[in-house]
Amino acid sequence: MEGRGREVVTRVLLVDDSPVDRRVVQLLLSNTCAGSFHVIAVDSAKKAMEFLGLKEEGKEQAIDMVLTDYCMPEMTGYELLKAIKARSPLKPIPVIVMSSENEPQRISRCLNAGAEDFIVKPLQSKDVQRLRNCSSATTQCKGKSDGKLLPSDHVVVDAAAVAESPPPSRRRAHFAGVAMVLHTSSVELSQYFPFLFKFILLVYAILCLGELLRRWSNGCFLSLWCA
Amino acid sequence: MAAAPLREQLSALLSSMFSQGLVDEQFEQLQMLQDEGGTPGFVAEVVTLFCDDAERIIAEIATLLEQPIVSFDKVDAFVHQLKGSSASVGAQKVKFTCMQFRQFCQEKSRDGCLMALAVVRNEFYDLRNKFQTMLQLEQQIQAYDPKQQ
Repeated sequence: MEGRGREVVTRVLLVDDSPVDRRVVQLLLSNTCAGSFHVIAVDSAKKAMEFLGLKEEGKEQAIDMVLTDYCMPEMTGYELLKAIKARSPLKPIPVIVMSSENEPQRISRCLNAGAEDFIVKPLQSKDVQRLRNCSSATTQCKGKSDGKLLPSDHVVVDAAAVAESPPPSRRRAHFAGVAMVLHTSSVELSQYFPFLFKFILLVYAILCLGELLRRWSNGCFLSLWCA
Repeated sequence: MAAAPLREQLSALLSSMFSQGLVDEQFEQLQMLQDEGGTPGFVAEVVTLFCDDAERIIAEIATLLEQPIVSFDKVDAFVHQLKGSSASVGAQKVKFTCMQFRQFCQEKSRDGCLMALAVVRNEFYDLRNKFQTMLQLEQQIQAYDPKQQ
C-alpha cells in the first residue's frame, strides 16, 4: 500500500463485466472512505490477469486487493481467484469475491479456494469495512516484521509460525467460511425460530403429559407428588 | 423560491417510486451516498448507465429469442446480468421480473421467455420514464439554485 503521511491507500483491482456494477462499486468505495481506496476497474478476468502480470514472468503487481465478480463470461471470478492464489502462494494478494447469488456452496467453494471474503451483491456501505479488514490484515502481517512499512510485493513469512499453524489466509478463510455459512444459515433459520420454539414447547408438554398418564395408570399418582 | 415547488414535485415522485416498489433501499443508499459523500451527479450517472445498459441487454435478449433455435443459456446470462445491474441501482421491480424470467429460461420455454421479456420491457420503460422525470427535475432545481447541489 502507498502511504500518504498517515493515510494508507489501498489499491483495489475491480473485476466485473457489468458497467453498472463497476461504476457503483467505484463510487461506493470513493464516497464511503474518501481517499482510502484507489480503484482500477477492468471488465474481464482475462484483463485482470494481464494487469496483474499473471501471464508474463517478472511483471510487478501494484495491487493490494482484488475485488471480483463471480459470474463472468469466458473466465469466471472463481477461476481468476484460483489463478491468483496459485501464481503467488508466498505473496498472496487478498481476493474478495462478489456475487448476486447467495449460495452456500458457492461461498464455501470460494473460501476454500483461498478467498479472503465473499460478499453478496449489491455492495453496500457496510460491506466496505470488510474490504478494509482484508487490506488491514495484510498490512498487519507486513508491519510485524521490523516495524518498517514494506512495499506491497514483499511479505515476511515466519517459518516457525507457519510450521505450527496454517497460514493466516487459510485461518481467515476458515473463520470467514464458518461465519458466512452461519450467517446464511441464521438468515434462513431466523424466520423459523418462533415455530421452532413453539414446537419444542409442545413436545416437552406432550412428554410431561405422557409421564403423568403413565404414572397415573400405574397407580403411582400419589407418589408423583412425593417425588 | 422557485425551486421549492420543484423540490416538492421531486419528493412526491421519489415517494411514489418507493411506494410502488419501483425502487428499494439500494436506491435510497445511492441517494444517501450522493448527499453525504458530496458527489453531485452520482445518482444521475449510475441511473443513466443503467438505462443504457438495460436497453442494450433487452435488445440482445429480443434478438436471441427471435432465432429459430434459441440459446437459453445465453438468454439466461443476459437476464442474469440485467438482474444484477438492476439490483445494484435498486430497480426492485425490474429485478423481480428478471428472477421470474430466469425460471422460464431454465424451463427452456420460448413462449414463457417472450412473455417474460414483455413484462421486463414494460417495467423497465416505466422505471426509465420515472428516472428521466427525476433527472429533469433535479436539473431544473440545480438551475434555480446551483449552490444547493
